[in-house]
Amino acid sequence: MKLSYNLGTTLLIILSFCLINPNLGISQMEENVPSVDVPEITALKVHPESLTLEHARDGRRIMVSGQTKDGKWVDVSTWAEVTAAPGIKIHEDGYIFPEEVGSSSITISVNNITTELPVTVKSIDAPPVSFVRDVMPVLSHAGCNNGTCHGGAKGKNGFKLSLRGYDPDFDYELLIEDITGRRFNRAFPEQSLMLLKPTSEVPHKGGQVIKPDSRDYKLIHQWISEGVVSDVGKIQRVERLEVFPESAELSMPGYKQQMLVIAHYADGSTRDVTREAKFTSSSIDVAKVTDDGVVTAERRGETAILTRYEGAYSTNGIIVMGDRSGFEWAETQVYNYIDTHVHNKLKRLKILPAELCTDEEFVRRIYFDMTGLPPTPEQVRNFLMDTTASKEKREKLIDSLVETTEYVDHWTHKWGDLLQSNRKFLGERGMWLFQQWLQDEIAENRPYNEFVYDLITATGSAYSNPAASYFRVSREYTAAVENTTQLFLGVRFSCNKCHDHPFEVWTQNQYYEVGAFFSDVQLKNGRLPGEEVVYTSYNSTPVKHPRTLAVVDASVPFGEIKDESKDKRTSFAEWLTSAENPMFAKAGVNRIWSYFMGRGIIEPVDDIRTSNPPSNPELLDALTKDFVENGFDIRHIMKTIAKSRTYQQSIKTNKWNKSDSINFSHATARRLTAEQLLDAIGVATGSQPKFQGVPKSFRAVQLPDSQVKDDGFLKLFGRPERESSCECERTTEVSLAHAMNLINGPTVADAIIDPNGRIAQLIKEEKDDRTLVEELYLATFARLPEKTEYATAVEFLGKAESKEEGAQDLMWALLNSPAFLFNR
Amino acid sequence: MLSLPQAPGRLCDGFSRREFLRVGGAAMLGMSLPQVLSLQARASTTVDAAKPLNGWGKADSVILLFLQGGPSHIDIWDPKPDAPSNIRGEFNPIPTNVPGIQLSETMPKLAQQMDKACLIRSVSYTPAGLFNHTAAMYQMVTGDTPDKVAPSGQLDPPSPIDHPNAAAHISKFRPPEEPMLAAVQLPRPMQESGIIGKGGNAGYLGRAYDPYFLFQDPNKDINLDDLSLRPEVPPMRLQRRKTLLETINANMPEIDKVADSFALNEYYEKAYDLILSQKARNAFDLSQETNEMRDKYGRHTFGQSVLMARRLVEAGTRFVQVNWPSVANGNPNETAWDTHAANFGPLKNLHCPKLDSAVSSLLEDLDQRGMLENTLVLAIGEFGRSPRMGISTSGNGNAPDGRDHWPYCYTGLIAGAGVQGGQVYGKSDATGSTPLENPVDPRDILATVYHTLGIDPHTIVMNHLDQPRELVKGEVITGIF
Repeated sequence: MKLSYNLGTTLLIILSFCLINPNLGISQMEENVPSVDVPEITALKVHPESLTLEHARDGRRIMVSGQTKDGKWVDVSTWAEVTAAPGIKIHEDGYIFPEEVGSSSITISVNNITTELPVTVKSIDAPPVSFVRDVMPVLSHAGCNNGTCHGGAKGKNGFKLSLRGYDPDFDYELLIEDITGRRFNRAFPEQSLMLLKPTSEVPHKGGQVIKPDSRDYKLIHQWISEGVVSDVGKIQRVERLEVFPESAELSMPGYKQQMLVIAHYADGSTRDVTREAKFTSSSIDVAKVTDDGVVTAERRGETAILTRYEGAYSTNGIIVMGDRSGFEWAETQVYNYIDTHVHNKLKRLKILPAELCTDEEFVRRIYFDMTGLPPTPEQVRNFLMDTTASKEKREKLIDSLVETTEYVDHWTHKWGDLLQSNRKFLGERGMWLFQQWLQDEIAENRPYNEFVYDLITATGSAYSNPAASYFRVSREYTAAVENTTQLFLGVRFSCNKCHDHPFEVWTQNQYYEVGAFFSDVQLKNGRLPGEEVVYTSYNSTPVKHPRTLAVVDASVPFGEIKDESKDKRTSFAEWLTSAENPMFAKAGVNRIWSYFMGRGIIEPVDDIRTSNPPSNPELLDALTKDFVENGFDIRHIMKTIAKSRTYQQSIKTNKWNKSDSINFSHATARRLTAEQLLDAIGVATGSQPKFQGVPKSFRAVQLPDSQVKDDGFLKLFGRPERESSCECERTTEVSLAHAMNLINGPTVADAIIDPNGRIAQLIKEEKDDRTLVEELYLATFARLPEKTEYATAVEFLGKAESKEEGAQDLMWALLNSPAFLFNR
Repeated sequence: MLSLPQAPGRLCDGFSRREFLRVGGAAMLGMSLPQVLSLQARASTTVDAAKPLNGWGKADSVILLFLQGGPSHIDIWDPKPDAPSNIRGEFNPIPTNVPGIQLSETMPKLAQQMDKACLIRSVSYTPAGLFNHTAAMYQMVTGDTPDKVAPSGQLDPPSPIDHPNAAAHISKFRPPEEPMLAAVQLPRPMQESGIIGKGGNAGYLGRAYDPYFLFQDPNKDINLDDLSLRPEVPPMRLQRRKTLLETINANMPEIDKVADSFALNEYYEKAYDLILSQKARNAFDLSQETNEMRDKYGRHTFGQSVLMARRLVEAGTRFVQVNWPSVANGNPNETAWDTHAANFGPLKNLHCPKLDSAVSSLLEDLDQRGMLENTLVLAIGEFGRSPRMGISTSGNGNAPDGRDHWPYCYTGLIAGAGVQGGQVYGKSDATGSTPLENPVDPRDILATVYHTLGIDPHTIVMNHLDQPRELVKGEVITGIF
């Protein structure tokens, strides 16, 4: 089967930005951005280089750049003085409009430097108003079809529009046929509800969203007087957006950048839609953007400006450099290609990477990341006492850890979460069988593409083929669509179930087209109790579009299935897991990366979209390529990541990287997950946690699902219920309830005083205070105590009422320290 | 000649500033607790200037007496003496201490406190699909209309993708200033047959914002182990441990920075205070009340739960939800409001006396302590009951002396925090079937709760899929202030 892809550039746009910033929402509330003086410039450049105005409503804006003394081009539109020659007119909002047919020009000057822009006026007639190209954009621009206004699922006050105008036909029908005549008065257009409401001339809960006599007003007025004609289906909406500049670097807070948005239509015509487009900055404390598309730098950082217009999108990166004087790149070792790409980005942003972490830090971190467990005191000692050079012995440890049973348990658990292995869906027997299947797949390091292929194409009894459990969890085709796309493509189709995705190219149609691949999947009872059999039915109800009720044919959202003869699920699985699928390997490798680095290169890892670009696209591409070229070998990618210098950095920051949180310039401490934490308490205290209904020796990470009862610890610390394919189902926050539990709860308290635990054992063996302290530090922090730590602890033990009580207190304190609670 | 102008920013569409107020979870990284708190404060006070509405920020605490099961409004709050006998029922109206306002004879004690409370007799909504309890309760306490209702009218069991309930939003946006439990739910979860606790938790806000559940009977001895110091760790020993921990942490400045970014030390300080002060523990300790007081509220699960709610609020808890303790369906010997059969005898002899003593005592008690000023009290169920007896509105069978579910018009009691006492807001028709004036959606009530606490009900939080969601799609009932 031959597969081809035509994703376009939108999904692969190469940009950087910060999605979650700790200070979001705070900075701009009170801070005033400094106003900036006109920079000294030596040359001027205008974009576009010439203007052609086609008709009376063809208004255009320009963007003026100036070259500074050091050769950089900066936006000087704010300070530009613009004078029009006869034949054209400049409106107050900066739009240039035609007045007379012929050739004219505009003079632009900044600080006595002047340049001229030739303008050609082709016509000054006003063409008829188009519903699709003129009226719909006005509805969007005025905000009428927002989710919070009439675009909401139930509309507002009895009037509904499609969300952000994704369905012009629907909107036209509702405008016209809702209550005939009410919204329009063709003889006296200004008496139409469609004009009275938004101008607030009759009460409108949304307030005045269109000013009387504004251009928006006039457009609607003209459209009504021309007879309220729809051109839906006759005329195409915008084909693509072109946004200038493609990316920009603003040197200091206060600097501005005018964005210019040109809509391109299939017929070759273009429009300046800067005024109608919607702009959003992904990180408003880095740069804000006004409705007019003026970006203002707020503080150092990266942001992406998302521009939306009539269902077309563009994302443009903005870097605010800020004051970096004194920065000098220090030559840093490169262990593999990961470091090359990370360092390239850091150099560009003038960030200095952190130093290498210590062997002690490394051994704890790699054990947690690979096996979900801390190293035992013995494992720590072995590693630290190994005299091999640090880099080599780290690599040796990485290679050995992926071969352990603990590795298998850990990743079985992870996939159990994502695939919702849960007795609620699978029954008890089905759950154990599915867990065993996952274990086998991971133990043999099954290539990721084959693993996924087996899940998607599984048929038969889920007892004999546990992969079929996938469809016992995703019982409806809707669940199959949402889980499959989120898990394996990293996109959230759940948004476009009810409407076109608000920030993405995905449409509602595509949701059901993908659904049609799964509509034949049926379940029936098997012979054994609780057994279910997955089979393909040839007379199941076809998927219908919820609004049009038209039967939807199976079709992939991008790329193409050439061979239609195969079973639908097989075709889909082949398309999905193909090496040529640009999303599959990328989403997979990004997910794996996040497990080791604390955040994805695209974050959240399961919300990949144009408006959420990777922080380091070259790095993501290189990892993707490596993954594909090595046959989707998961262990290979994990080892490659762990062997990079980038992974082995310290959490300790320097002056240049302390504010960076997205470019992997230092390690990021992560709170241990619920299971890691409970198991780590078990390892540290030597006390076996107690669970109901599983073998006594089970660790938390070996539990088959969230129904297994413990003392409430796992639930409190965020163990997922396994009811969602979203990574976000697991939480790792810190709260008052967590602090109370660790301080005073039964889990820690009982483990410390366990008569079979580590402390009881050490006391029984009558170890001296120094040994005791050493053992407890190794068991909790995976390192030996430092000199002052010895002193503090030994002194504490000396003062205690009994050595046992003192040791318990010391253990309590170590377990409650962030050095224990975090993977660092 | 002119300069290229720039229009001022507008926050109409898409990402308004509020949408970014993701205080919990990942976005909290890097913020200290004080920053979080001040951000939360600002999130609410920014609205203050914009909308100086009545009751804004008047409440420090809220007590929700959630009468799950659906009490019959006609037989309690909204008597219809002039209606036909198959609607009027068996009870007569009685006067209250407010001229012109009558209650059913089932509520004699409340009648004497009527000057402190407002009756909203026009609570009304049309449910999606069949109206059974879980969907209605879920909407009541979360403000979210469930879109996935089973044919039976039931919902799925509680799930982490549920809309957060009021307790969670309040814990997040208005946490207590002192070390105290932000929200408590007692003495049992909400329930409809096998679906237990739906709407009772923080949903996608994360478990950190779950209320503290005390699912025990306060009319009996209760176990508070997790709030009590363990016998082997007396306060002095915990203090020693605390000091040792601080010494150990002080030696690791890099790791302490991590702790700072998670506000770990602030949480620890609060937790120590809570455990060592025994404030929460004491609040749950009803033995510190006089026998007289306990008798007055009523020596039954509900009465003692309501008294406990008062103690919790006194100690600084923001939101207490007391769920009606019985949910058995239609059993005339159970104190359950779901009176598909035997509506009258049990109401008069079992349910209403308990409700009457507890609600009237709470209003009187709060007033005498000067706490009614800044405590909002609510008593309401997920719906009322059908004015006509013996008919089926929900698909359930009903005995001739039973009433079925009725969400189209019922009554809620609201008091305190600036709400004008001694008034009736809204009006039902002659049979109590439909509102005649000022219909109030349950979501409006929730919006009013947030509003009195100084939280903008339209504040946006991000759900589990990072989609913006309002706290509640409802409007503040300004007419009651």
